[in-house]
Amino acid sequence: MNMRRTIFIPAVLLMIASSGFSSQTTAQVQARADGQWVMPRTADGRPDLQGNWTNATITPIQRRRDQDAVYSPEEASRLEGGRAARTEALNQPSDPDRVAPPVGGDGSTGAAGGVGGYNYFWIDAGDRVAMFDGEPRTSLIIDPADGRYPSRTDASRQRMAEASQFRRQFGQYDNPENRPLAERCVVSFGSNAGPPMLPNYFYNNNYTIVQTPDHIMIMTEMVHDVRIIQMGTPKPLPKHVKPWFGDSWGHWEGDTLVVETTNFSPTQLNRGQLSGATDNLKITERLTRADEHTLNYEFTVDDPETWTDTWSGEVPFTRLPGLVYEYACHEGNYAMFNVLSGARAQERREGGRQTPER
Amino acid sequence: MGLATVITVVPLMAHHAFGAEFDRDAPIRLQGPVVKLEWVNPHAWIHLEITKEDGTNEVWMVEGGTPNTLLRRGLRRDCLTPGTEIIVDGYQTKDHSLTRANGRDVTFTDGTKIFLGSSGTGAPYEAEMLATRQQQGRC
Repeated sequence: MNMRRTIFIPAVLLMIASSGFSSQTTAQVQARADGQWVMPRTADGRPDLQGNWTNATITPIQRRRDQDAVYSPEEASRLEGGRAARTEALNQPSDPDRVAPPVGGDGSTGAAGGVGGYNYFWIDAGDRVAMFDGEPRTSLIIDPADGRYPSRTDASRQRMAEASQFRRQFGQYDNPENRPLAERCVVSFGSNAGPPMLPNYFYNNNYTIVQTPDHIMIMTEMVHDVRIIQMGTPKPLPKHVKPWFGDSWGHWEGDTLVVETTNFSPTQLNRGQLSGATDNLKITERLTRADEHTLNYEFTVDDPETWTDTWSGEVPFTRLPGLVYEYACHEGNYAMFNVLSGARAQERREGGRQTPER
Repeated sequence: MGLATVITVVPLMAHHAFGAEFDRDAPIRLQGPVVKLEWVNPHAWIHLEITKEDGTNEVWMVEGGTPNTLLRRGLRRDCLTPGTEIIVDGYQTKDHSLTRANGRDVTFTDGTKIFLGSSGTGAPYEAEMLATRQQQGRC
């Protein structure tokens, strides 16, 4: 006998209604008397995807060459143990008599740019291997079978080269518009907000989902990026209208939410792995509740004029045990001022505007 | 006098490229009391007052990461109250007229980290550190 216990949460309903989303939302949390998880559903019977989720993980987007798709339990344990050991090491005290770091840089590379970042205590990049369908995965990409991005078409390479050439005529520090979107607090960095929604491997890999019969909202904590997915028969925007995060339409296939997105902003596309994509880019996402704590997220990127094949990935979203906080980015963005002011100061020191660095 | 025994550097992607904002040829070491904490995104800024060689005081601003991460760990801005003496090493902004730097390593004067980096794994070392800090009246 399936004895069920139903708990109604009127406070959540009130909060969502007051934020502009109409009433039909989180209806009930159900659990069978035998403890077996039961798919929670909204009042209209759809799977309830709502709440706070995180996709932070140490599994990279792209697999190392010649690596299996799944870690052995020992490998997964070693990697997670290594992350914990690194955290422990970085928590150890520093020498209070330390002097300033070396002139010319401290040897750090990448975004640290030779000047280092900031204390590790600010970072929350994830400490677990991505578990999908019970498998500890070595990459988020699962198709192509080698877990790596497919090759780019010649036309795509040409478009990227032309875009790069175009940008070279402007100094990268000449004005705010020439700075990356994340630095301008326009959208989050990497492909955090998506689509596809991928971890940034740094911090705040958190999402809030709010659901109504007509719309589904996904808010990414970083730069409070908000995607509004319209449900029902698609009425696509005209080709020339290209909003941030594209034009997303959703429908249900059984208990899976399927979202198809087109009309990507060329400004947003002009970075990372989606660089060089065309107006025909289409990204399909599939979200399925797997258990009480897990939302399976699958995506496929399709643009035959950009890649020689489609590419797909699988990412576990797990329940975030806590709140998603405001990320009011622009208001306190001293970094933008410092970057531009620094470029002007450097020009004064070096006697004029310098050739842009790339 | 020696270099830091543990260099706490995170060479990953961030809100911006650190090298665009800070000058690798202008390393600094700062020590003094906190006078203000800006608990804002995209970066928290710690203001501290240092005493220069000529005896005059100067306020410097030090860039940290997102406060959201620390909030989620249950840490509060009053863990770093005005008057708390800290040590910072890092690099000054490229505009040297600004007294600003990155917080490459930010510690109390005994070298211990102001906060701990873990998100709470419950590891024995962490419990021990937290217990010690609580005895010292720290967060």
